[in-house]
Amino acid sequence: MSNRLTARDRLTRLLSVIPWVAQQDDGALIEDIVTRFDYPRTQLLDDLQDVVFFVGVHPFTPDSLIEVEIGDERVHIRYADWFSRPLRLTPEEGARLLTAGRSVLPLTESDDDNGAGPLLRALTKLGTALGESAADAVDVRLGHAPSDTLAVLRDALARQRQIDIEYYAYGRDELTERRVDTNRLFSDQGNWYLSGWCHRAVGERVFRVDRIRTVAITDEPNADVGPTNASSFSPDSDDPRVVLRLAQSARWVIEQYPVEQVVENDDHIDVTMAVTAIGWLERLLLRLGPAAEILRLDPPLPADLCRHAAARVLTRYQ
Amino acid sequence: MDKLERLLNLTAALLDTEMPLTAEEIWDRVGGYPDAKPSFRRAFERDKDELRAMGMPIEVATVPGADPPIDGYAINRADYAGDDLRFEPDELAALHLATNLVRLDGNDTGLMKLGGAGEIGQTGISIADQVGRVPFDDALATLISAAADRKAVAFRYSDTDRIVEPWRLSFSRGHWYLTGWDRLRGAERLYRVDRLQGPVEVSGTAEEAVGTVSDPLDLRGWELGDGEPTAAKVFIDVTQASWARHILGEVDDVDGGVVATLQVRNVEAFRSFVLTFLDHAEVLEPAELRDDMVTWLGAMQ
Repeated sequence: MSNRLTARDRLTRLLSVIPWVAQQDDGALIEDIVTRFDYPRTQLLDDLQDVVFFVGVHPFTPDSLIEVEIGDERVHIRYADWFSRPLRLTPEEGARLLTAGRSVLPLTESDDDNGAGPLLRALTKLGTALGESAADAVDVRLGHAPSDTLAVLRDALARQRQIDIEYYAYGRDELTERRVDTNRLFSDQGNWYLSGWCHRAVGERVFRVDRIRTVAITDEPNADVGPTNASSFSPDSDDPRVVLRLAQSARWVIEQYPVEQVVENDDHIDVTMAVTAIGWLERLLLRLGPAAEILRLDPPLPADLCRHAAARVLTRYQ
Repeated sequence: MDKLERLLNLTAALLDTEMPLTAEEIWDRVGGYPDAKPSFRRAFERDKDELRAMGMPIEVATVPGADPPIDGYAINRADYAGDDLRFEPDELAALHLATNLVRLDGNDTGLMKLGGAGEIGQTGISIADQVGRVPFDDALATLISAAADRKAVAFRYSDTDRIVEPWRLSFSRGHWYLTGWDRLRGAERLYRVDRLQGPVEVSGTAEEAVGTVSDPLDLRGWELGDGEPTAAKVFIDVTQASWARHILGEVDDVDGGVVATLQVRNVEAFRSFVLTFLDHAEVLEPAELRDDMVTWLGAMQ
């Protein structure tokens, strides 16, 4: 959050801060308000002194104003009767919290918990405000991967161990064996990924969990590789580029593939993409058929790549 | 006067009043508005819009006894605050953690209203890094809250206007799907939320009982469509067998690989799926689907 809050941001915060502080008998720590409500300290103090101090109702005599008392560390707010409760959640805010909560519920509730964990309790309360069917309204699958593979990976991460995996390299269409220092498990666009240091590639790599065919935890501890910025897709600047002319019917490519440049025309769309491996481009072209035309293909990609791929598949049918 | 101060005073005045306040009274009692009537009116309209956009239930009612009738404004305190949910500290912390673990597109302001971001340490949950990202927008929020509160919604899909009673919103393989009761068709239907055309509007109360919602994990593009399905057999090489089994569930082991039987209603989606295996898969039967593949690939020669 930047230090410049808009008037709307400040109003949203104050309508929540005022009742929260007013409920605390001994006032609230300024630092607490800053963190809980993501309110930059200087802005908070200015708003309390210059704004809230003058808030009240007609005729704005001292007894019809909110009382604000600011000390070195604490703030007291009294007589904020109109703002004794925060504004209710909008349907959008409720839906967002419900979605976030339900997304991670499978990750945070463990079987050995005694009764419902705090997240499930929170979601149940939230549900009472949102409607009778709130509990079934949202279902989020962060990724699709065998749950036993995910469980082993989580275990390896918790124990900070290296793993041995058999990994299907989709782009190159080959099965590989790798030793990996586990770093982070995350989901993006409906898939689970594991990032880590790959001993075979001698570098940081990101693996799609549903392409890990087998996984075994080793006795070797992870090397300390530090925090990572790995994302699910990171083309090198010197990867070859392809420029495709797509028919309007192939617009979904823009949503589903990492495109670097899009030029819209009346009846077609030109997209530029980095080709990290030849296999995915072959698949894409075979699926698109007449809906795509190659405008440019950087070497070393062979100019007749699509024809070759089609011929290779066709041999199966002869 | 700071605009923020004016908005807070306006809110306080509307919450405080027992009788609806006329625009004139607001101009007189709230302060901070321009003196000239037309400029006051514009500023007041903007303020109202802004407060309503935040979710404030500003009511408009005729002021009792006014002749000629005149509109007045007020906020009912119970409507303003809604249910008193009283979250425990560890519950607030857990919601805070959830919003950290999953990034939804857009802004999160809801947590503040519940009492702010609690200390994550109170949850006893050990994961701290963000694990995922999920697309989110206003249309989706409307659909979710309609499903939760058993409302019907109106939207346009495949160039047809529809009234749908949403049952469940499912995020699967990077896309949001809506399962619900389509009143026009009188049947359960499935929609991809990013293909909804135009706005989603709430349209009355749901009437049909919520049906059993099929698991979106089972969604397969080639099964979506109308009409009777064709059973297709596909051979998949042994190198891809475990992946195929993971995606398809039931497959039969045969020499050198597996054979999957798919129920095909959408030939294009079926072809796309088989081609993701490149030359590691082959359509065995029926002849029409095998021929379709050969023709498709032949055109690329």
